Amino acid sequence: MDCLEFRRQLGAEPGRRDAAFLAHRDACPACAAAWTRAQQFERRLADALAVTPPPRLAERMLLAQATGERLARRKYLQRGLALAASAGGAFVLGRFLGTRDDDSESLRALAVAHLPGEAFALGLKQPIAVSAIEQGFLNRGIRLAASPPPDVTYVHDCPVGPYRTVHLVMQRGGLPVTVIYVVGHRNRAHDRFERAGWHGTVVPLRAGTLVAMAANPELLAGAVRDWRRSLDGPAAGGPLA
Amino acid sequence: MPVLPFVNTRQRQFEALVRAHSGELYRYAYWLCGQAALAEDLVQETLLRAWKGLEALREAEAARGWLYTILRREHARLYERVRPGLDELDEEQHAAEMAWSDPERQGSDAELRAAMLALPPKYREPLLMQVLGGYSCEEIADELGIKSNAVMVQLFRARQKLKEALSERSETNHGLS
Ligand SMILES: [Zn+2]
Ligand SMILES: [Zn+2]
Repeated sequence: MDCLEFRRQLGAEPGRRDAAFLAHRDACPACAAAWTRAQQFERRLADALAVTPPPRLAERMLLAQATGERLARRKYLQRGLALAASAGGAFVLGRFLGTRDDDSESLRALAVAHLPGEAFALGLKQPIAVSAIEQGFLNRGIRLAASPPPDVTYVHDCPVGPYRTVHLVMQRGGLPVTVIYVVGHRNRAHDRFERAGWHGTVVPLRAGTLVAMAANPELLAGAVRDWRRSLDGPAAGGPLA
Repeated sequence: MPVLPFVNTRQRQFEALVRAHSGELYRYAYWLCGQAALAEDLVQETLLRAWKGLEALREAEAARGWLYTILRREHARLYERVRPGLDELDEEQHAAEMAWSDPERQGSDAELRAAMLALPPKYREPLLMQVLGGYSCEEIADELGIKSNAVMVQLFRARQKLKEALSERSETNHGLS
């Protein structure tokens, strides 16, 4: 075996133990050093992959089988997936049929189509730290003027189509409310929509646009009010939507 | 009542399966999909399918590979449903986005974890099968339906990409977090 072949095998299967492989290692100091580095990397890799399963995982899996019960989250997930298929499909179709998409039309479509990729986020129940929410906005160069709402369970600085956004989920009355704040793109006007089972509202806010979406339209006004207050400051929390 | 012993045996066999494998299935699912909540869902779906198809399982030693296979298919099905018609480029970009969306990114060796999740599926899957599942190149080749030479190349490149990502991050250190 030559050095090239040894390195090829080492990179693909660092754990191999066959005679020809080990013989080259023991005969060639440079490859022996590479072998040691490779073993260290494998240990590091194995450690990094060793995520801790959620507590009582086996018990919950057995319970699910015994009762035929799904995790509560599953409902949201499937709901998200079903909507996803129709929202994504409708959007793609619209584009190919040459539908004339104005500004807010494409923003709605993109926002609704963005939900399924993170369907899991709709089921998160645990409020996250204010600092994490602030960081999500800071990643987009935005400093919040006042505290965010206390019931945010998810934040991520997502790209949505061509837009830079902050994607948030809140839990209100047992339902997820998604807010996507589009940075640096201010929609011309307020707008409401219903698409793929989601009610939504599009609101110009600061130098950007806030899109709020929920299965129940009554949840939208409160979400917009809370985020207007947080982004614009306490003075701006007047009635809206 | 001749049915009862059978039911009990089946139930007991299933319980043993769940206790022995749910943890490692979760790890595999987590690194396939990059999301804790979704990973748990995938494990549950996998085990429910396993329960329904338990008769197909002849010997206990084969259980692990069988469960891995079911989980991999469940994950693929999920992607078909969630992301209709998206090409691989989008998926790679998606994976890179997802790499930063999970609380696990705060855990130990966050750089390597993020690099792992940003790895395109065609490199990540065989690497997971090898490192987590202990599969040989030939077994991976069988499972994925590709030649074992191709698996070797993917495993080699997977590690190369991880190392590149790590050295880029340590040089510039201007990551998202
Ligand atoms: Zn050598
Ligand atoms: Zn998002």
